Formats: sequence, C-alpha cells, structure tokens
Amino acid sequence: MAQKLKGVDVVLVGLGWTGGILAKELSEAGMKVVALERGAMRSTEKDFAVPMIRDELRYSARNDLMQNPAKDTLTIRNNPSQEALPMRRLGSFLPGEGVGGAGVHWNGHTWRWTDMEFKVRSLYEERYGKAYIPADMTIQDWGITYAELEPYYDRFEYTAGISGKAGNIRGKIQPGGSPFEAPRAREYPLPPLRSSLAGEMFAVAASANGYHPFPRPTANASRAYTNPDGARLGACQYCGFCERFGCEANAKGSPHITVIPIAMRNPNFELRTHAWVTKVLKDSGGKRVTGVTYTSVLNGEEYEQPAQLVILCAYAINNVHLMLLSGLGVPYDAVTQKGVIGKNYCYQTGAGATLFFEGRHFNPFMSTGGLSMVADDYNTNLDFDRGPHGFIGGYSLSGGMTGGRPISFRPLPSGTPQWGKAWKAATAQWYGSAMTISSSGSVMANRYNYYDLDPTYRNAFGQPLMRMTFDYKENEHRMSRHTAQAINEIAKSMNPTSLNPATARTDPWTVVPYQSTHNTGGTIMGVNPRTSAVNKYLQSWDYHNLFVMGASVFPHNSAYNPTGPVGALTYWTAEAIKKRYAKNPGPLVSA
Amino acid sequence: MTTRKVFFAAALAVIAHAASAQGDPKRGEKVFEECRACHAIEKGSNGVGPSLHGVIGRRAAELDDFRYSPAFKRANITWTRQNLDAFLADPQKLVPANRMPYAGMPEAKDRADVIEYMQRILK
Repeated sequence: MAQKLKGVDVVLVGLGWTGGILAKELSEAGMKVVALERGAMRSTEKDFAVPMIRDELRYSARNDLMQNPAKDTLTIRNNPSQEALPMRRLGSFLPGEGVGGAGVHWNGHTWRWTDMEFKVRSLYEERYGKAYIPADMTIQDWGITYAELEPYYDRFEYTAGISGKAGNIRGKIQPGGSPFEAPRAREYPLPPLRSSLAGEMFAVAASANGYHPFPRPTANASRAYTNPDGARLGACQYCGFCERFGCEANAKGSPHITVIPIAMRNPNFELRTHAWVTKVLKDSGGKRVTGVTYTSVLNGEEYEQPAQLVILCAYAINNVHLMLLSGLGVPYDAVTQKGVIGKNYCYQTGAGATLFFEGRHFNPFMSTGGLSMVADDYNTNLDFDRGPHGFIGGYSLSGGMTGGRPISFRPLPSGTPQWGKAWKAATAQWYGSAMTISSSGSVMANRYNYYDLDPTYRNAFGQPLMRMTFDYKENEHRMSRHTAQAINEIAKSMNPTSLNPATARTDPWTVVPYQSTHNTGGTIMGVNPRTSAVNKYLQSWDYHNLFVMGASVFPHNSAYNPTGPVGALTYWTAEAIKKRYAKNPGPLVSA
Repeated sequence: MTTRKVFFAAALAVIAHAASAQGDPKRGEKVFEECRACHAIEKGSNGVGPSLHGVIGRRAAELDDFRYSPAFKRANITWTRQNLDAFLADPQKLVPANRMPYAGMPEAKDRADVIEYMQRILK
C-alpha cells in the first residue's frame, strides 16, 4: 500500500533540461514543486572531476551515466508482423539517467526548428500537391509557428550559453552564418568555437562545391560566460569528452549547473532522487490527474504524491511509456489508425565518409562535442527542390570530428586487417590523419512506426515494457541515397589519399550500433484531439492538469538535434502555466 | 643601433614592466570571469575548485574542506604573486598532473591584471 504524502502544486517526473527549467520557473512563480528523479544526484565537483571523468571504458563503453537496461528497457521490432525482442544492452540510442538527465552528457548541438517542420504537411501539399505525400506517411502540422517560439529559443540559447554565428538577424543575412536560417532577434550569446583543421578543410571544399558552410551552434562555451540567471560557465578546453561524459570545466551548457541549482536554492522546490514514477493517477471523473505513484529504488517503499499539476519531464520514450502504463489517452492502433498515444514514433538517419590524408595532422583529440562545420543546403533550404528526388524532409552535412577518444575513434581505410601487426601499424598511421564528413537526416512519420506496450516482456517493477516498431521507409531510403552521393562528391573533391565512401542506409534499421539518441513522437502535439495527444502548450487534451515535455511531442523528426525546440517549448509552456493556467486552470486551447 | 636608442628602448621596457607588475584590477575582474565557473570568492564556498578567498600568500592545498589532487598536495608552494603568475601561465608546468581543467592564460597582462584583482579582493 503506497504511503500517501502531502499534496503539492506541481510534480515533475524527471529532472533534466525540461524538468530543470520548469523547477526554476514554477518555484519562482510561488508554486510548491516536487521533482521525482529516478536516478542519482549529480554535480560537476563530485561526479565529473578529471581524471576520473575521462574513463572512456566506464562512461562510453559501459554507459555509466545512462539508464540500466537490466531494470527497464524496450522491446524492438521493424514491423508489426515480427515478434519484438528486448534490447538487453544499450545501443542505437542512450537514454540518460540522474539529475540533469541527458543534458549532462550531450554534445550541445542546439538548433532552431522552423516552420519547415511546424507546417510540414501544408508546406509540401502546397508545393507538390496532396498526392506527393505517401498515404502511410502520417505527418501533420504541429499547431505552432516559428514566430511564436522565437523568443523562447532565444531564452534557451542564452540560458545554455550557445556558441555560434547567426545567419539571419531580423531578416538581414549575416556573413559567416547559415543563409537558410530563420530570422532571429539577435546574435548567439557566444562567438563560435575556434575551428579545427578538419572543419576548415570541409568548409573550403563545401564552398567550392556551392554549399554554404557555417560553424555548428553548440552549448560548448567558447569563452567564460555568465547567463541571464547568473549561472557561470567556464571556457571550453577542447578536450573532446562531451558526448557520454559530464564536463569537468563547467563549460557545457547543462541543467545541473544552470537552472537546477537555482531551483534548489528556492524553498518552494524539493528534489527527491531515486524516485521511480510507476503511474500517473486519474480521478474517478476521468477529467483530471491527481498525482503520481513512485517507488524509492533505494528501499522499495511505494509513495503516492498528490499534485495539482503533473508534468512529465522524463526521457521522450519514458514519457510515452508512462502515459501508456497509466491508461492516459487512447493508445494508438496501427491497423485502425485510431488513438494517439504511441503514434508517430520517429528516429533519424544518416550516412558518413572517412577521408584519409597522408601527412595531415588533424589532432582529433583536441575537439568539442560541437566542433564542426555544417551545410544546410539540403535541409533548411526551402529552395532545394525535393520533387525530382521524391522525398520529404532533409539532411544536414557536417565536416570535422567531435572527439578522438582512444577506444571508439579508430579510423582505418577499408580493407585494413581487423587485428595484428598490420592493424596496429594502420591505427598508428591514421589516427591523427583521418577526418569525417557526416550527415544527419530527418525521418517522416509513418503509420507503422509507433510505440505500444509489449504483450510479453516486463520490467523490474513487473510493468509491461515499451514496444518500439520502427523501420526506415522508402522516403528515407531515397533521401539516404541522395545524402551518400552528396557526401562522396565533396569528399572526392578534397583528394584524400584514401576514402571510405558514404553508403546509403537502406538496410532494415537495427538497434546496434549507436546511431542517435533523438527519438521523437508518441505523445504528439497538434490542433486536433483526435490526431494529437497534447495541444500547442503541451497540455494533454484529455486531462487539462497534465503536461508532457520533451521530444515525444514532436509529430515527426527533422535532421536537427531536438534540444533547441525541447528547451524553447519548455519555456513557452512554463509561461503559459504561470500567466494563464495558474490563474484559470483548464484547457488552454478549446478542443 | 646607437647607444641612445638602446637606452630608450630599455627605459620603455622598464616602464612597461612596472605597469604590468602593478596590473589593472578593474580589468582583472573581467579576466577573473574565466575562473568563476569553478572557483568562488566567498570563504568556505568550494565548487569544482577550492574557494579562492585569501589565496594570496596561502600554501597550496591548505584548505581542510577541499579534496585536492595528489599533485597539489605534494606541490609544496606558496601562492605568491610570482608563483601565481607562473601557475596561470602554464598550470601543468608549475604543478604537473594537477586536476584543474584549464589550459592556461598566455597573455602576461591578463595574468598581471587578474593577480592584482585577486590581491585586492581575495584577502
């Protein structure tokens, strides 16, 4: 029997970027806020000091900062005719755990998604006709505009200390930035990082091929920075241990050094770690949620935390899982296409080439998580005519490495022996003399890519595992072929001594090896309760006091990393809750 | 080069040296921003690095409530202006294998200014 605790105004499930922002904003607005985080407390001084944090085996190979699949995982299959099997080791994506969430061990790439995504269906229908969109492609407009989100993107970029170069300030194209960028009110808070040889060589070659390269905007502080909330970031030291690691120099914009400590100093806020939420509770009328049930993973005790507002701030997959486990909303059915919870799961795609240059020294170990040059000519460039290529969406190209970690970064020309003397000699020869050109591509929603509860397998709490059904469809295959061709053209123009060319990704998707932790969809936003789970304020259509944060609200996935819109939408929702919902609780959009 | 010119150049160098040894504490406060992400100036407030309150004249690894690296524990130095200048110029040279994640402050003027600021503020 769960021990019932004293009620609070707001319960946050998970304390990463979204939970951290809301913890700060809502506690400052006078609300009593409790955050329940299933993982441990994390701080730079205790957890990320050098040399310990540079342990690649512990943090990268063994995923020390990630969720433990022995406790909870997903079952995976490519299509509904297959039997899904549990993912017993993390591979393709790495959900974080602990205070700060994935915001602790991300690379920092921070993009603004624009109306090209938010109006995806209407845009393509207008340009190419309704018949251009395949019948099974369940893309939809998001119900929000870039203009509405712009001030909140700005807020997040200044909070996280993004280093970058604006391409478009209030409609004026800026040299050095991306000419395809949507207008922003002002520059990034920090100038771009110092570029690398690999990035510069890519930029020169891309420019010569007609592309428009620019430095990647990223939460690696190019110099010491104090954000508008007074949080201090140190200058990036170019150690190259961003992704999968915490930053020992406090130079990576992360919630545990920005929003969370500010919330922690507020008496209205309380954090409970090792608190695993198992269910969101509904009232008997079925119109409101009343709180959550959680289990302390330290002692197994179960608690009920009543709250006026429940906000799901866990990893995207876990938010959807909790909705399904709690019976909130109508689960999606791929056969009838009724229901919404679990709908439109999307991933990302990509292709990459490795270029070997005899006598060149790229020093890959001197890097940052976001140190590369990007070209968006096939991504945010509206003038790129997709028609002849028959796909929807886009991809961004990038050149340069985000680190040269000794275990995982071993570039070798194809055909090199996999072990022995020749392998050792080639490793020594090419470690410092190879660079990569990579890409990140969008994935459009499809009727048969979705989540539901697994009928067979259960987690450590006896609850059904989440089942993921996903594969790339023809749209993504076409785009991937286009990507590989574009990469190889640039690569060949650079005249490398040897080239491992990019190949199109057309094989069935598999959960190994690592690909991207950008899982989107499942509780999608929209304008219609029959086709979306939450409205434009990320408020549940069915339960007005339930909000869902994070990338599970994205109706499809773009080529860009999701954290920019995740942060912006959180600030946007925080303001709607403070200014409107708190005064007059109820639906913020009438259905 | 004439003797006179040499003398003149030497005189300028002396003046320049005096100015840099003095340091500009106002500018130093700006430079100190680089340190603030990890070091507090308040007494007893340790972050990623130890509090720098009273650091001038202090022995290295002296605070009881901060977990110093073995490198600092065996460093056996006092934070004089000269030692601080050498340390900030190349932290790994003066205290090899220390854990401070900072590559160094190459500009002599930055160091002089920040040390002047520290001298005044962090007593």
